[in-house]
Amino acid sequence: MDPNASSVTFPLLVEELRKVYSVKGKETIALDGLNLNCSHPMILSLLGRNGSGKTTFVKIATGQLLSDSGKLEIFGHNVIESPGEVRNMISLVPQECRPWGHLTPREHIYHYQRILGNTREGARDRTQYISEMLHLEPTLDTEAVNLSGGQRQLIIVGMALSAEAQIYFLDEPTIGLDIITRKNVWNAINEYKRKNRTIILTTHYLDEAAALSDEIAVVNRGKLIAQGKMEELRRMVEYNTRIRTAKGFLGESQKIHGKLFQDNEFEILYTDDSMVEEIILSAGLLKTHVEISPVGLEDVFISLVGESIDEE
Amino acid sequence: MKSNSLKNLRALESLMKLNGMIPIYRRPLALVAILSTPFSFLFFVDIFSNGTQLLAGSIGGLIFTMINAATMLQSDLLFGKIDLKFQQMVSTTGISPLTYVLGMASGDIIFILPGAVFFLAAIIYLASAGIIAVLLILASAFLTWLFFSLLSYLISRRVREMREIWPISVIFGIVFAVLPPIYYSIYSIPVPVRYIAYLVPTTFAALIIKGAVAGSLVSVVIPMAIYALETLGMIFFATRVSDWRQKNI
Repeated sequence: MDPNASSVTFPLLVEELRKVYSVKGKETIALDGLNLNCSHPMILSLLGRNGSGKTTFVKIATGQLLSDSGKLEIFGHNVIESPGEVRNMISLVPQECRPWGHLTPREHIYHYQRILGNTREGARDRTQYISEMLHLEPTLDTEAVNLSGGQRQLIIVGMALSAEAQIYFLDEPTIGLDIITRKNVWNAINEYKRKNRTIILTTHYLDEAAALSDEIAVVNRGKLIAQGKMEELRRMVEYNTRIRTAKGFLGESQKIHGKLFQDNEFEILYTDDSMVEEIILSAGLLKTHVEISPVGLEDVFISLVGESIDEE
Repeated sequence: MKSNSLKNLRALESLMKLNGMIPIYRRPLALVAILSTPFSFLFFVDIFSNGTQLLAGSIGGLIFTMINAATMLQSDLLFGKIDLKFQQMVSTTGISPLTYVLGMASGDIIFILPGAVFFLAAIIYLASAGIIAVLLILASAFLTWLFFSLLSYLISRRVREMREIWPISVIFGIVFAVLPPIYYSIYSIPVPVRYIAYLVPTTFAALIIKGAVAGSLVSVVIPMAIYALETLGMIFFATRVSDWRQKNI
């Protein structure tokens, strides 16, 4: 990498990126003029429903997939025209990746290091460092076929993090991990951020995005809907309060003061502060359970995209 | 900064271990499976010819074994690309696609090495082959491995699902290792069919070895020139189209 480039150029800059898959004459628009940027090293989470274009973007950015048009730069290097220039700057956890069943975690990380060009001693040291960071030691010499799904996923994360990259593209890296292991990965990601690395994280875990991200980008149907810090996203939604209560509790007059979502048992009303007092009083009189909270990331997502992240 | 050639060598070594040495050590049964078909063919050739065609069977066995390595490579490349997504991770390491392919192919060579050594030894013993003949046999085997490994790479680039490769591999084996005149003489088939056989590169692999063991070096020149040119063409083409990026994956 050109050491001067990072001081004057964005770690990531995406403009009007477009990709259409064409299979047997049927065209599917995956990216429809996506814009995205990281102006400085940060953790940027990409949120979007399944099929929103997140993974397609990651594949183009990491030089797996050809785009149709648009611009994508990593530290000022044009990824579309010269993907080879950025390969040494990036590392990747692909979506739905699996380790080799017959290899141990140690062998995975060690040989990945060797493929990266490290010396035998350097590869051994790096393997040790990563296994300590991710708490892989207890299973370090167990064949992957004998490990749990979460432990296997951790091998992939370990391989990707073992690379000395400038940008890490982590496509759903914590899928299948238990909460303790997820926290270990979060700590590792934060450690890399402290080292001025940029992490592009796609995830369906909203708590993960909220806990880790400096900025969040919401992508829908191949387009950027919003990008900003959590507080900035909160300000983008019309209402700032979330009220969850039993179905049928809210009166029609209350419902018109907000945006209502319903499921089988509950109603969720997004509204402003002015309605809170009235609803608390009604709940007290009728002894009904009501949860009132500021809007969170899920609410922002629903407001921006229209449906929950888990729905298809 | 590491030199590219040193980096590529390290990558080759590791890929060979990942795809060859470690799985053989931990799953040795695969070794038996890989060698079972060429040895079965040798067995039947021996039985039906009352032992008179053992040399032809061994020549066919050597070429079949090299084709087997290329067939394995198809599955391994697709397994790495589709199932494991290992290829995606490797692509960000900075090594070239051809380094990756050759590393994986080198791993598959380890699998077929015992069979190749056996058939080579059998040919040398049965034909009392001299050093020149041995070098020509090795050259033919090497060209076969290289040509068909690169062809396997090109095929794997087009395939998007594991299930697609199984019928392709079977047809690949039949077209390049069973039907062509590698177990039998090309002169035993009618002339029009011979022209079709000449379209198949393994025909020249067999002609080289058969000419070498017969001590007729003159008869080796043309097949060797054609096979070397075909392989150079394949290298040129594979290098031109090799790219980590694809239009659809």
